[in-house]
Amino acid sequence: MLRRALVAAAVTLGLAAGCPARAQEARPGTEQQIREVVIGAHMPLTGSLARSGQAFDEGMRVAVRLFNETAQGLRIKLQVIDDESAPAKAVSAVEKLVSDGAVAVIGGYGSNIVGPASDAANKLATTYITAGAVSDELTARGLKTFFRINNNAGYQRGMAGLIAELKPASVSILASTKEAPALLAKGLARDIGAAGIKVTVHEFDPAISDFKPLINKVKLQDRSEILLMSAYENDYVGIIRAARVLKPPVKLVVGAWSLATPKMYTEFPDLMNNVVGTSFLPFPVAVKDEEGRRFAEAYRQAYGKDIEYLSTLSFVETTILAEAIAKAAEAGTLKSGGLPETLRATDRRTLLGPVKFDATGDNPLFSLAMGQHRSGQIVLVSPPAAATGPISYPALPW
Amino acid sequence: MASPRAPLPGLALAAAFLVLAALPLLLGASNYLLGLLISALILAGVALAWALLGNLGGMVSFGHAAFFGVGGYASALLAGKLGLPVLLTVPLGGLLAALASLAMLPALRLSGPYFALAILAYAQIFRILATEASSLTGGAAGLQRYPGLPTVFGLDLASRPGAYALLVALVALGCLAYAAIRRSALGLALRAIAESEDATRVVGVNSVLLKAWMLALSAFITGLFGALNAHIIGFLEPDYAFAGSWSVLPIIASVFGGYRTVLGPVGGAVVIYLFDQVVAKGLIAVGHQILLGLLLVAMVLAAPNGLLGLLERKGGARAGA
Repeated sequence: MLRRALVAAAVTLGLAAGCPARAQEARPGTEQQIREVVIGAHMPLTGSLARSGQAFDEGMRVAVRLFNETAQGLRIKLQVIDDESAPAKAVSAVEKLVSDGAVAVIGGYGSNIVGPASDAANKLATTYITAGAVSDELTARGLKTFFRINNNAGYQRGMAGLIAELKPASVSILASTKEAPALLAKGLARDIGAAGIKVTVHEFDPAISDFKPLINKVKLQDRSEILLMSAYENDYVGIIRAARVLKPPVKLVVGAWSLATPKMYTEFPDLMNNVVGTSFLPFPVAVKDEEGRRFAEAYRQAYGKDIEYLSTLSFVETTILAEAIAKAAEAGTLKSGGLPETLRATDRRTLLGPVKFDATGDNPLFSLAMGQHRSGQIVLVSPPAAATGPISYPALPW
Repeated sequence: MASPRAPLPGLALAAAFLVLAALPLLLGASNYLLGLLISALILAGVALAWALLGNLGGMVSFGHAAFFGVGGYASALLAGKLGLPVLLTVPLGGLLAALASLAMLPALRLSGPYFALAILAYAQIFRILATEASSLTGGAAGLQRYPGLPTVFGLDLASRPGAYALLVALVALGCLAYAAIRRSALGLALRAIAESEDATRVVGVNSVLLKAWMLALSAFITGLFGALNAHIIGFLEPDYAFAGSWSVLPIIASVFGGYRTVLGPVGGAVVIYLFDQVVAKGLIAVGHQILLGLLLVAMVLAAPNGLLGLLERKGGARAGA
């Protein structure tokens, strides 16, 4: 019995071992094949982060379509693998994409995924770009093949800038202990505190759903003027719902990513009015440049909706990568490891503002505006240079 | 009581594992396939430890994620902060996981679902500790900059072939240790405890002590594989290191392969992981887990004793024909 089981296991492994050999044969290896270049991507297309992964996927596909429409003699093909938000599966995805011939990989969502996946890409000397991981640890590694267009500092600048403009006496920060919100809260507490504003941070476990005890602390102990949230969508909803019941004496509710979006207002109209979050576009969408108009139009055509935050992030990273691939292919350095250097030379304005990479692959120019929900519209209220209207302050959802 | 299996021929087992180790390497498997096999073997190691606890002592655990996480964090911190060699910190990670199991000793008074729930709660406590002790563990942001596996006698263990060979060797060692305990008098007593603890006590067996040893051994093996995983992946955060999937997947793998056998959990882990990631994902890129679910349901209905039980039945039927 045992012998048969072992033989069966050996045959299974042996058969499976043969599979990638075929995949490797498909790897582009001649100048003729360089005409079609494969970009790989791993995203969380299932599980709790599927909504974010789908939005990233949509932005990438539109970017590739628009690039292919105008590119001369080069066609980009996108190959996407569901990483299921699991680090080991993200690493496997990178290895499969590279063995299938991808010249670069677009990374997933979350530093816990992007860290190991970009390490794997670096070991395979493959360029890796992301718009879904803000941890400072990622750039501290000094990988030559790693790039990202957004970072913690950009969100921090946007939110701290708004607080500095409003000059409240005190701020309460409710922060999830998850990695990105915890880092953001730490940075915000430092920046706001340095401006002489009293800051109290209340951390909470991502598993909690009843925020009334925390809001009671804000109401009875802190008595802050601004309630700041460093968290994710479900947390925002829980916090504002609890605040609506307990009515702390705050003048404004401010949050980070994925808050000032039309979707949040559509789903929670009774909770979102006057709430402020990071954004880069007003709603109804008003893009000023030709690239933005083309993206918005193609996106509406493909998905029947307006562009939003995550799809725009992935549109920008994919466009930048595709342009660098085209330049490297033209210079004949694509196959000889020239892509990272070409990408590092990027210096252009995008829908998210200027993008330029430093030696660590980070984009130090990344900064976001702040948008306020106003009866179904989103008005950019900060910084003054990006504002499309004045802020309503004091103003609350209740 | 389930009839004990025939003693495992240790030499044959070692030879079979050697073949398994060499096969993908000789066939020139890609990094991708080796990566999948590495993930499957890590799961196999934890599944083996889980099944050991269930068979030898009758403890059904829903909290092996605690040992996995403790082993990973301990090894990463010892290597990253104290600069100890990784080949030393990996077994130390296992030892510290075994030490952590001491905190669970009060739960040994419980049995069945009560023990399972208590150990599940312990796993949550360790996850929260890893999040809150941010000065040591990096908190929610986790750990990233710590050494990977080293090169030993010219074999780069950080490479895919090196890590694969190491994991095959360790899974084989785990199997041999499990089989040896199972065959011993101690194993007989432990199997008796699994069937009826009260009856075993009546004949003078110190069941609590034996269960404590098995819990520590199971925690050690789990911590060892948690430590290896940490150095292979190169990133640790509480939500990942103590994820519920490290508790649930080993159970699925063991039940699928046949948790009453020594090789069942290992075979189950390799088959379900490769089936899910190669076959199911190849057929349905998004939502492939549904195929794995169907396979599991079919397997449980068709072969409650798991894959090895099914193969044994088929073999017996053919022999009888």
